Order: sequence, then C-alpha cells, then structure tokens
Amino acid sequence: MGAWTVIQERQAMLLDPAIRDWVLLPIMVVMILVGVVRHHITVLLNGTPKKADLKSARETKGLQRGAVLRAYGSHLPEHAFEARKAYITDAFEKGTYLKDPKGGNKPKGNVMQDPAYVEGMMDGMKKNMMNIVPQTVIMGWINFFFSGFVLIKLPFPLTIRFKSMLQRGIETQDMDVTWVSSLSWYFLNLFGLQSVFTLLLGSGHAADAMRDMQAMSTMGMGAATNPQMGPTGQPQDMHKIFLSEKENIELTEHEWGLENVEIRLLVKYGKLPRSILEDQKKAKAVGNASSSSSSSAASSHVASSTSPSQATMAAAAAAASASKKKGRRQA
Amino acid sequence: MSGQQINPDDALYVDMFIAKNSQTMTFIRSSYSAILGLAAGTLGLTNWSGFIFYFVGSAFLSVLIFALKTKGSPSLYFRQPLDVFTEGVLGGLLSYILFWTLLYGIIHIYD
Repeated sequence: MGAWTVIQERQAMLLDPAIRDWVLLPIMVVMILVGVVRHHITVLLNGTPKKADLKSARETKGLQRGAVLRAYGSHLPEHAFEARKAYITDAFEKGTYLKDPKGGNKPKGNVMQDPAYVEGMMDGMKKNMMNIVPQTVIMGWINFFFSGFVLIKLPFPLTIRFKSMLQRGIETQDMDVTWVSSLSWYFLNLFGLQSVFTLLLGSGHAADAMRDMQAMSTMGMGAATNPQMGPTGQPQDMHKIFLSEKENIELTEHEWGLENVEIRLLVKYGKLPRSILEDQKKAKAVGNASSSSSSSAASSHVASSTSPSQATMAAAAAAASASKKKGRRQA
Repeated sequence: MSGQQINPDDALYVDMFIAKNSQTMTFIRSSYSAILGLAAGTLGLTNWSGFIFYFVGSAFLSVLIFALKTKGSPSLYFRQPLDVFTEGVLGGLLSYILFWTLLYGIIHIYD
C-alpha cells in the first residue's frame, strides 16, 4: 500500500511553470546563442589560413604524389608506371623533396625555438580555449544558480544505471530515473543542439560539441591542421614518412587498367560469355603469368572460340594505343 | 591505404563531391530529426513508440531521398549505395531525443 502511494506521488510530481520559463528555456536559449557567438568568433580568429611556404608545400605535395601513383597507377601503361615508380622511389630515398635535404634528423632539443612550431601550438591552444571556456562558464552558471533543480521528464524509461548521469546534483534515492536535473539538461542540450546549429550556421560550423570533448581530452595540442605535427604535437621526422611511403610504392604491383579491355567490352555487350573473364582470373591466379603473355593467350582464345566483330577489336586497340600515347606524354 | 588492393572504380568518385553529398545528407537528416522530435513530443509519444516513430520516420525520409534526390540510383552519389539509408540516422537520434523531451515536457509535464 505504501509503495503504491509512493509510485502515485512519483507520477504526480508537479513542476512549477516558473521553472520552465526561467530555467528550462533560458538554458537552451543561452546554449544556442553561445554556440552561434562561438562560431563567429572562431571564424574571426581563424581569418585567412596561413600560407605554407614553398618548401613545405613541396614536401607535402611530393608525398601526395606517391599516394596518387599508388592509387591511380592502373591508368598508366606499364612502362610509364615503372618510370614514375623508379623516379619517385629514388627521390624519396634521397630526400629530394625534404624541406632540408641534407639536414637529416633534427635535434629534438630546439623544438621550442622553431617559430613555426611555437606558432602552430599557440594556434591550437587558442582554438581549444575558445572551445573550453564557454562550456565551463555555462556549466558554472548552471551549477551556481540551478543546482538541484528538476527540470523535465524524459518520455522513455531508462535503467537505474542512468541515474547518476541524468540526475547530477540531486541526491534523491527514490526518484524515478526519467526525471532530469538541470546539469543533465545541459548535457542533453550539448549533444542535441547539433541540428539547430546546422540549421542556423550551415554545415561545417564551429559550434561542435563533439569537438569540445576532444579539446578537453587533448588540451593545448590542437595543431592537427599542420601536416608536420604528429597527433601528439611533436614534429615528425619527414624523411621517415617518405621512406615508408617509398616502401609502399615498391610493394605496389602494376595492374594495367586496359588489360583485356577488348574481351571485357565484348562480354559487356553480350558477344562473349561471362565465363571467359572468370577463366582468365583463374588462369592468372594459377599461373601468375606476366600480363603480356596472359593477354596474348586471352586474345587467341577469343579468336578461336568465337568470331568477334573486327570493328570492336580495332576500336579497343585504338583506345589502348591512344591512352599509351597519353601516358607517354605525361611522362 | 598501404599495400591493400585499390579498387579502380574509386577513380570514378570525386572526393569533393562525395563530401558535399554527405554534407547535404547530414543537413537534411539533422533538420528532419529535430522536426520529427517536435512532432513526437507534441503527440505525446512515450517509450518504444517514440523510437519506433523516429526509425519509421527516418526510413520514410530515406525512401524520399532515394526516390527523389538520387532518382533511384544512389551509387551515382555515394561510394556505398546503402549510405542513403544509414548515414546520419544515429547522429540525428540525439537531436530527436532533445526535442522530443522538450516538447513532451512543455506540453505534457508542465500544464
């Protein structure tokens, strides 16, 4: 009987409308406004992005060139690919693209004297302060004025585990878990207002709550925009990065994108059975033959099995030779 | 990236446009989930019905995007065609819960 009345009382908890008008809505409005202000301050602070000087731009682009070759090497004919591979691995090995080709390893001691490094660190610090300060101030405000307020009730039940999360600042054992305290309302807002900011400021805004969390965990080291900084904020040894990229390139096998293109074309338009392609795959896997011999074998296979229209074959060959020319011109 | 087989079809996608498309998706989804939350709160949905409402609503939106925006061929716009149905659904859930709670509280808890 007693338990029943407790439940009844729990369900019938009444909240003063003044709480809604003076606590619930103001917290939300303040958070939205602070988010908007912070977005604009961040935009102002960032200003125009700092221009990289010629040497460091060359360094990053050189590295990118290796990655591009690995990714899109299949568009080049064999000889062009090999030429690039030889050139790039050689250049990476020797450190041609390094900012300071002969410098080798920098002594770690004078990192703080490097103005670029210090500037990057200050930049990251500034941005992080922009993220942390407003959140701390709002949290302090809510804690100071509204601690212990019950603001709202969640429309869905939760397990007792969430009690500490949703009822921060309220030490009541028996209250239903779904009632939300002021500080927890703040957290709900922090994560839920993303969509409002997206609507108000467009996507890619700088009022991101997720970034705050990151900022709090990696305080002072937000210089991820600088390619020379590792995740820990230490400048990395670029030569090592170049060497590992070189190894990756050496491991990359060339696969000519137009290999067997005539057969693939005929298969696509239904002139040849699809099984031919699978046969080729098998043959390749078994024999591990070089690309030239397998393609010649395949073309003889075509000639023997069916009589493909000569025009299509000629067109495919023309396309192949055209792209070869293009590749040579680029080299 | 390193060493693994690179799909030649990747060259068909321009990273910039893929990023733009997913940005648009995020925009649509987050606006929609906020509005859906307002609707759920106004209707006074509780418990599972609220979550089911959200997922049914998201599925409806996905079908709309699939049919109207991608004209039935999402692989033209996304690397994974299924992204149309999954991208941003869970991200919108937090916004949905916030607005659902807000409207539910204002209308049904405070009188």
